[in-house]
Amino acid sequence: MTTGTQGWHTGPALLSSYLAGALDAITGASVEQHVNRCQTCRTAVASLLEPQLMERTWAGVRDAVERPPLPYPLRLVRRCGLPEPTAVLLAAAASLRGAWLVGAFLSVSFATLAANVSGGTALAPFLLVAPLAPVLGVAAAYGPRQDPLEALVATAPYGRTKLVLLRTIAVLVSVLPVTALLGLAVPGPPWLAAAWLGPALALVPVLLALAGFVGPRVAATIVSLGWSSVVVASTRGGLDPTWPVEAAQQGVYLMLGVAACAVIAIRSGVHRQRGVAL
Amino acid sequence: MSVPTSTIELAGVGKRYGRKRALDDVDLAFDRGVTGLLGPNGAGKTTLLRIVATSIAADSGQVRLLGLDPHGSHADVTAVRRELGYLPQELGYPSDMTAFGFVEYVAVLKEWNDRERRVQEVRRVLDLVDLTDQATTRVSRLSGGQRRRVGLAQALLGDPRLVVLDEPTTGLDPAQRADLRRTLSALGHRSTVLLSTHQTEDVAALCERVVVLAGGTVRFDGAVTDLVGTAMGRVWLADEPGEDALVSWRTGTGRHHVVGGTPPAGADPAEPTLEDAYLLMLGPDARRLGAPA
Repeated sequence: MTTGTQGWHTGPALLSSYLAGALDAITGASVEQHVNRCQTCRTAVASLLEPQLMERTWAGVRDAVERPPLPYPLRLVRRCGLPEPTAVLLAAAASLRGAWLVGAFLSVSFATLAANVSGGTALAPFLLVAPLAPVLGVAAAYGPRQDPLEALVATAPYGRTKLVLLRTIAVLVSVLPVTALLGLAVPGPPWLAAAWLGPALALVPVLLALAGFVGPRVAATIVSLGWSSVVVASTRGGLDPTWPVEAAQQGVYLMLGVAACAVIAIRSGVHRQRGVAL
Repeated sequence: MSVPTSTIELAGVGKRYGRKRALDDVDLAFDRGVTGLLGPNGAGKTTLLRIVATSIAADSGQVRLLGLDPHGSHADVTAVRRELGYLPQELGYPSDMTAFGFVEYVAVLKEWNDRERRVQEVRRVLDLVDLTDQATTRVSRLSGGQRRRVGLAQALLGDPRLVVLDEPTTGLDPAQRADLRRTLSALGHRSTVLLSTHQTEDVAALCERVVVLAGGTVRFDGAVTDLVGTAMGRVWLADEPGEDALVSWRTGTGRHHVVGGTPPAGADPAEPTLEDAYLLMLGPDARRLGAPA
């Protein structure tokens, strides 16, 4: 069996012990080193192994390489029952990535900090940023001219409306709790922590309705400018800092939101084609 | 009503973009097999394919896909889309997706919900377009031809009965084109494949049937050999360029390939190619295409 280093090959008995893991550490490592380099012994190993085991191992390796694990938050939600295909779709949405969420978190944090430092007199930054965070997240997650897969999404049986709504819900679920928590830190009346939710929830359907006409980027710009003017005008006009989110104004936002939903529904009905309205 | 219907039926279909008429009163029907759409830029090829791919609606006329109205009920639209494979002319790829990830994403949109079966299917179509080794490469790192093949792979998911390919051969080299030909001819046995191209040789190689579009209307519809036949006796090899030829150019042998017009003195009749026939079919419109270099 041993005829110099070139001609030496492991015998069947040695290989079987190696495969069974029955060799001592040094002999085992030596055999492994040799098998790695020797074609003849590799072939001998292959004939001793169970093909199913090899297939299973290969499938496992291939699976791990081809399908990298889902992002952590999605794995978490998966465990709470989110279907696997839905997780695949959400993993591809840009605004659900860590970078975007961290950005949104930071802007709302700074706004909260500003409100705190000013002792509650400068609520404008918080009221400006908090309702816009979900709006911009939704806009960034979807749309024609922005989604490179638009043409495919629009003609897939899954349907674009369903995908847009799925992403919208995902953005809201990921942004709203953090913003709500930060809102608790804003000085002022306790109801303020939740009051910004009114415009936030109204502006999202407004954005979706507008995006159906002008695309998500322009729609996001219009909504941002609109909301900014409301907040800035109330500050300039010497109104109470909480004016933009007081009850009367909330009514207006509610009506706006309902009107936007109606526009979306009517357009869906007129086109009678899934995915056209949004 | 037991009238046999074609997979794709277009009757009097028209589409305008503002004042521009993209399609005008087009009547076409397609069944199993591979059909090529030829035509100059702006002829209406992409518009026609987008209508068949349920991406846009026609302004006028009637469209039936698999016997269903693609702008009818949600159930009908979805039923059509389940049987549709579509490669758009321009397809963006999210930069951080791998070839596998991209095709898998589309597979989910196409309702491949079972994970195991989906993975198998994605591997199958990537293998069909010879991208198995690039499956884990980011799409942004692939070459133009490889990206086109990723796009093609997603269109083949699930062996759809209706396959719409807008310029599938862009960026493919001759060997890949030959592979595509094999894939499509296999697909054409059970599916209706409609593809557009600028390359007459693609049509000659890939398609049994050819439709020539120009200015939004159908100029020719028939077998590839029939289109070539229309140029019989109108193409010559001559020592001089043709005086009133539609196009003529000097070939590698030093003689002139003359298409149309009157034959120059001493001209020998030449076997027409599909390109000659196409140029003759379009007539003066062909000048806008430019003659081959």
